[in-house]
Amino acid sequence: MGKFVVIGERIHCISPVIREAMNTMNPEPILKRAEEQLKAGATYLDLNIGPAESNGEELMKWAVTTLQGAFDNVPLALDTANMKAIEAGISVYNRSKGKPIVNSADAGDRIEYIDLAANNDAICVALCSKAGVPADNDERMAYLQEMLERGLTLGMEPEDLWFDPLFLVIKGMQDKQMDVLEFIRMISEQGLNSTGGLSNNSNGMPKNIRPIMDSAMVAMAMMCGLTSAIVNPCDLRLMETIKSCDIIKNETLYADSYLEI
Amino acid sequence: MPFKKPVQKYNASINTVELGVGDKKIVLGGENVLPLYTFDGAIENAPKVGIEISDLGYADQVPGISGFYADCATIADMAKKAASIEAVDFVCLRLDSADPNGYDASFEDCVATAKAVAEAIDKPLVIAGCKNDEKDAQLFTKIADALQGKNVLMFSAKEANYKGIAASAGLAYGQKVGAESAVDINLAKQLNVLITQMGVNASNVVMNTGTAAAGYGFEYVVSTMDRVKAAALGQNDASLQLPIMTPVGSETWGVKESVASEEDMPAWGSQEKRGIGMEVTTAAAVLASGSNAVILRHPESVAAVAKLIKELI
Repeated sequence: MGKFVVIGERIHCISPVIREAMNTMNPEPILKRAEEQLKAGATYLDLNIGPAESNGEELMKWAVTTLQGAFDNVPLALDTANMKAIEAGISVYNRSKGKPIVNSADAGDRIEYIDLAANNDAICVALCSKAGVPADNDERMAYLQEMLERGLTLGMEPEDLWFDPLFLVIKGMQDKQMDVLEFIRMISEQGLNSTGGLSNNSNGMPKNIRPIMDSAMVAMAMMCGLTSAIVNPCDLRLMETIKSCDIIKNETLYADSYLEI
Repeated sequence: MPFKKPVQKYNASINTVELGVGDKKIVLGGENVLPLYTFDGAIENAPKVGIEISDLGYADQVPGISGFYADCATIADMAKKAASIEAVDFVCLRLDSADPNGYDASFEDCVATAKAVAEAIDKPLVIAGCKNDEKDAQLFTKIADALQGKNVLMFSAKEANYKGIAASAGLAYGQKVGAESAVDINLAKQLNVLITQMGVNASNVVMNTGTAAAGYGFEYVVSTMDRVKAAALGQNDASLQLPIMTPVGSETWGVKESVASEEDMPAWGSQEKRGIGMEVTTAAAVLASGSNAVILRHPESVAAVAKLIKELI
């Protein structure tokens, strides 16, 4: 399926620094976080501007051109509840390093994000849920098929839908973890791509535990065929695990310095 | 149903590396298809053919080689004669005399030789050492300095001596660096990483992933090259997107098929024909496996391989 795609999650308006930077259109803090993530090995950067109801279009255009201008057209995932803002971002997006990712559709209220991706030749993250957490993998698969069909009908390539199995928090849903992994295997067996907010599994755990749990999760998920994740690339243990798994899976060629590149 | 020809084109490509200066400079690499797969996409820079001369001369070689240089008084004359062959894209000077276990020529003498050769030709120059890691490292450093502005390739740095060669040839003196590994795919990648981590731009590095004469463990040579190109193009592995240059003649003219005289082996026929056969066969095979340039010794081999490339590209 190719080398694992790391989507860096750290440009997110939930962070006070980033929110302030977005409010004042101050590029410095955003560029700093972008640089840290790219240095750490991110391929894509997620750009989450929040709901951005009033100035979303302007803000997204500014952020896309700022990031791509500073980092050789780095490929981006455009992440907001404001669909117009995503379209505006794509209108100024340079595709030379990869298609834009629309983040994200689901099988419920956000199904039209698939239409948006299809109309703009973008990749779309497709959450396999409708309202809340699906009861089981049959339900997840039904949503997947619904979204896949919609995308294909609109002319999308199947590999441009990146299905999100919905990673669940261990503290509270420990008994569901193997289901999630099994679902990743089901996605992979159909030859489809997958991604998701992997570190959700360790939500609420102590800071020193989270990288360990996230690394274990990503290794097991990659074994099941996960092709991408939206994660914090500055988590060294996690990145080392991903790079090592790519070696074991023969997706990258081993060299003694593989962790440094 | 009409036949639809599948096209295997990659979104990655091999870096281009320029050797030499002026009208006769050459460009290696640049392709985004598998070796010689012109039916999948254009190969802008056809593989190049180099000719090798030794600073010890070729008086002891087969008549086709020794005779070709018979009227040459100096190594510079030999270089001129070698470069005058139209099909030759570049000249490789092998400084066999430097070997501490042989003639142990001084650095001054070797630098003077390299300078004389560089002045005698207008085609790009590749400098090969004496296969002694320590001596070669110092030798390459001094020659890289002396030939500044000529854009020559120091062939090659190995795991044991890459630091000095990369720092001098690659960084200080603006020459090209060869990265040599002995048929070891992981080491090939590692050496490229180490050299580029020192600050040498990948577009100034040419790989030598190792070689053997056909029939002498050659399948490992081929599978290594196959794997390099698969990772470079298929996995977009930037650390392997470097053109490959393979010294062929220095291997093939040392194996028994090329060395045994007709007197000793009457059933094998002409020694010279055998030697050319070994050289051409090996060159054709490494070109098909991914070499962007080969270094040959016999003028007839040069003609045959250049014709082969011309017909295919």
